Amino acid sequence: MIAQMLQDASRRQRSATGVAILLAVLAAIAGVGLLAVSGWFLTGAAIAGAAGVAAARGFNYLLPSAGIRAFAIIRTLGRYGERLFSHRAAFFALADVRPALFGKLAGAEPAAVFSRPSGEVAAQLGSDVDALEDAVVRRVTLPGALAGAGTGLAACLLAGPWAAAALLAGLAAMRLASRGVVPGLLAAQVRRRADAMTRLKSSYAEYAACSAEIAVYGLIPQIVEAMGMDIEELEASRLAIVRLEALTQGGQLVLAAVTVACVLALASGTAPLAAAAALAGASAAEAWSGLVRTDVGRPRVDDALRRLGGMAALPPRAPHHGGIERLAREPLRFESEARACVVEAGGRVLIGGPSGKGKTRLLGTVMGLRTDAPQRVTVGGMDVRELGLETLRQLFAQAPQDASLIAGTVADNLRLARQGVTESEMWAALETACLAETVRQLPDGLDQWLGGDGARLSGGQRKRLSLARALLAGRPWIVLDEPSEGLDSATEQQLASNLAGWLDRTGTGLILVSHREGLHHLAGKVFEL
Amino acid sequence: MSPSQTVTIDSVPFPGQPRRKLDAAALWWLSDTAGAVLFAGCLALLLGDWAAQGRPPAIMPALLAGIVLSGMLRAGAQGLAGLAGQREAIGIKRELRTRLVAALLPTGLVRGRLTGEDMRVAIDDVEAYEGLIARFNPLKFAAVASPLTIALIVAFASWVCALIMIVTLVPFGVGMAFAGLAGKAEAERQLLALSRLSGLFVDRVATLPVVLGFGAEDRVTRQIGAAAHEVAARTMQVLRVAFLSSAVLEFFAALSVALVAVYCGFSLLGLLPFPAPETLTLGRAFFALALAPEFYLGMRRMAAAYHDKQQGEAAEGSIAGALQQAEGHRAAAPMAAAGSVSRLAVSRLEVIYAGDNRVGPFSAEWQGPGLHALTGPTGAGKSSLLHALIGMTPALAGTLTLDGGAADPAALAALVGWAGQRPLLLPGTLRENLVLGSPGGAVDLLPLLEACGLSSLIGERGLDLAIDPRGSGLSGGERRRIGLVRAIASGRPILLLDEPTADLDSATADRVIDLIAQVSRDRLVIAATHDAGLAGRSASVVTLS
Repeated sequence: MIAQMLQDASRRQRSATGVAILLAVLAAIAGVGLLAVSGWFLTGAAIAGAAGVAAARGFNYLLPSAGIRAFAIIRTLGRYGERLFSHRAAFFALADVRPALFGKLAGAEPAAVFSRPSGEVAAQLGSDVDALEDAVVRRVTLPGALAGAGTGLAACLLAGPWAAAALLAGLAAMRLASRGVVPGLLAAQVRRRADAMTRLKSSYAEYAACSAEIAVYGLIPQIVEAMGMDIEELEASRLAIVRLEALTQGGQLVLAAVTVACVLALASGTAPLAAAAALAGASAAEAWSGLVRTDVGRPRVDDALRRLGGMAALPPRAPHHGGIERLAREPLRFESEARACVVEAGGRVLIGGPSGKGKTRLLGTVMGLRTDAPQRVTVGGMDVRELGLETLRQLFAQAPQDASLIAGTVADNLRLARQGVTESEMWAALETACLAETVRQLPDGLDQWLGGDGARLSGGQRKRLSLARALLAGRPWIVLDEPSEGLDSATEQQLASNLAGWLDRTGTGLILVSHREGLHHLAGKVFEL
Repeated sequence: MSPSQTVTIDSVPFPGQPRRKLDAAALWWLSDTAGAVLFAGCLALLLGDWAAQGRPPAIMPALLAGIVLSGMLRAGAQGLAGLAGQREAIGIKRELRTRLVAALLPTGLVRGRLTGEDMRVAIDDVEAYEGLIARFNPLKFAAVASPLTIALIVAFASWVCALIMIVTLVPFGVGMAFAGLAGKAEAERQLLALSRLSGLFVDRVATLPVVLGFGAEDRVTRQIGAAAHEVAARTMQVLRVAFLSSAVLEFFAALSVALVAVYCGFSLLGLLPFPAPETLTLGRAFFALALAPEFYLGMRRMAAAYHDKQQGEAAEGSIAGALQQAEGHRAAAPMAAAGSVSRLAVSRLEVIYAGDNRVGPFSAEWQGPGLHALTGPTGAGKSSLLHALIGMTPALAGTLTLDGGAADPAALAALVGWAGQRPLLLPGTLRENLVLGSPGGAVDLLPLLEACGLSSLIGERGLDLAIDPRGSGLSGGERRRIGLVRAIASGRPILLLDEPTADLDSATADRVIDLIAQVSRDRLVIAATHDAGLAGRSASVVTLS
């Protein structure tokens, strides 16, 4: 699933990838060529110079010295362009993968999505997708390394087939060494490290919840000691990873040196050709060892792919029922073991009962965002759990207890309610929610950026913005969880009368949870938990 | 890290300083140069003789062995450099984490920061700091020292070649300075937009319920797609400049190789357009040529680790900021231990949270010894008031008096035994967990355990029962009673208990209430509770609304 997603996204970046590969190939050829020609030219020049003035004058220095300059320029420009295009291809491909994954997540059954902590999901969309970047950028390494190796082989062939065979064998040995045991060991350490990280974070969260006790009894030394084990495990696995990577890279360096020595030992012919072969071999081996970074990075990429795979494979949720229009006119029925309560369309009900009785849970179930309320709620005789989110969200608009503002402007938050909300509708809703004055006084008004979770508004103001958003949604029912919390009683009265007028005008039904008695008169019925 | 945060490493004493330290890793990186010199030397001798004699020289096997040895040297030096840097970083990270945990954990409530934010600093930011210490700093030293070393060694073979290398450094430096400045300006221009856009993903996942509730996921997905493309485009803007500075580096690296090769070639041919400044042999020329790419290698390595530097410095700023904020909240000097407390009172005490959200005001007076209850619906502020009594709140208004004199709540903490909603468990034995509040105190724990119905828990292994905080197998009620026994065993004159009888069946709750009543004969006990039984035994009941 995720592989397919990545492939589709990469296909759209074909041309940038193609250019990157072409430039990588050119840069690699030029890099190996630069050293090979330099070695050949130098040695040839020395022999010609030693043979006397006539030989020196006969030596064709124009072509090699021009070649050296050309290779130097091609290598520089090639590497610059390769980096630019390969990164462009990777970034834009991943920019397609992120929304595709978010779409999968948002289109799945809410229970499957909300069973994962939101921080974890965000981390996957962020850092796990980032981890793929390396894999995508590195797609151009292989063609580059192959071109470098090919150029090296060609240069060695001039010094005889045995020298070329030595280079070929050396390059093969380098691949074998890098792909051998180490990746498996490395993958184990990467997992060990991820586990230690998870444990450390959960310990931290656990101890942070006990901060009063820690402060009162002065327990910091004990806490440090208790966390020490996980920290040491984290560092030990990191050190093991560094050691394995050093082993892999070191193996490449030793094999490259052995390869150059073998090329020289087996080179036949003149000194200039041997020099070209040796330098070309060294340079080709260096380009070739760049492939190691792909091997070393693979466990992390595989890990990220595995986690993202779970997200990409989430099945889509059931589509909505037909007949929303009919359901909108049907009565709502709440039923617990002790009592039942029927509210006709457009009616108003207060969900009562002390805290901890599950009022918020009941509202979440009505909205189709969860299914765990012990009470039974039906619309026109059908259980909300059977209707599902797709249907319920066309019947109910919610202003949740925690306000749940999105990071964005005031208008961004209001526009979330439905498509095509106009500015005058926004002001009308803010007026009803007793927030218009506040928004008018913000430096940027409706376009005021509210930061992460609406940081510039107080708790009460955030709740009223959330209320205004629910008013704009235009659903047959509005579901309000403690809408007047944090309000003084005068404003609360104003809000109550505004809401009553709005409900009358629009004929919208109301489901209300509120501890504050100032709003209780809005509801005609009470369903006690 | 918010852009307004200008705290730097210099304002908070910080492990890892001074930055340009000559450590083992830097020396190992420098000694990598020795391997390069050995390789160049062997190759130069071999080819010089080969060209002079027209056939491979007799000492070839020794020279080839030298080449293999050079590979081993370099592998060893580079590997050990990585390990030494990592070890250094591990030491610093350990020190930093210890300090962060000590500063952040007890002050989380006081600073009003979310646990997640503190955790990000103490765990993720410290990880991100690693690359700066382990890789970038040693490479930075080697980037300066290794070109100079190479030039010095090459000067013995050909001073003109050494000069060529040094001279290319000048335009290189100018080019890098321009590219660096442009890069910095570009990065700063994009920084705010980038952080806002990347925050968008986190935010839209966190607010997914409301997005789904309004059926807005298609619009939000499109928005995320547009934002992701913008992030990609802006990142490319920054990278384009960053790549340009590597291109400058590459260009001069290639140029120095090309210039050395051309100079040596013409010099060996005797065709230099100016009088030869030195007599060059092929061996010397080859030595210089083979070392030419090494001249810029140190700087190329440092440039490759540039990401480590950026990440490390961002983490450094956020760690320093958190340390400064948290260490500013060091506990007030604890009050001298008092044997007993006869009167604790609060007057118009208000707890002030972020955004001027206030809880209270509370006014109450408690006589000691005695048992007092604090009741009221959830959210009325019972826990807030208990935390305010020990100064564990962002800000306070109003007054607190102890035995008639004004007192600082933070200083009161030393007189308080605390049993919260979810008591702390540490790995160790049950005994160790119970005496966390009374180090060195010889308290008879068994009667206390017996009194609150925990004797069945200790069973055969007694007080040596091993406690594992993760998956401890303890119920919520058992955990609460461990906290209660710990608070009683602390022997402190004031006990603050948050819902001591919650999660307990009524028989056990009665035993616990008896124990609390008994303890309150010689201490001042304040318990936040919903339990009518506990409130009924109390000398006073304060009801919050």
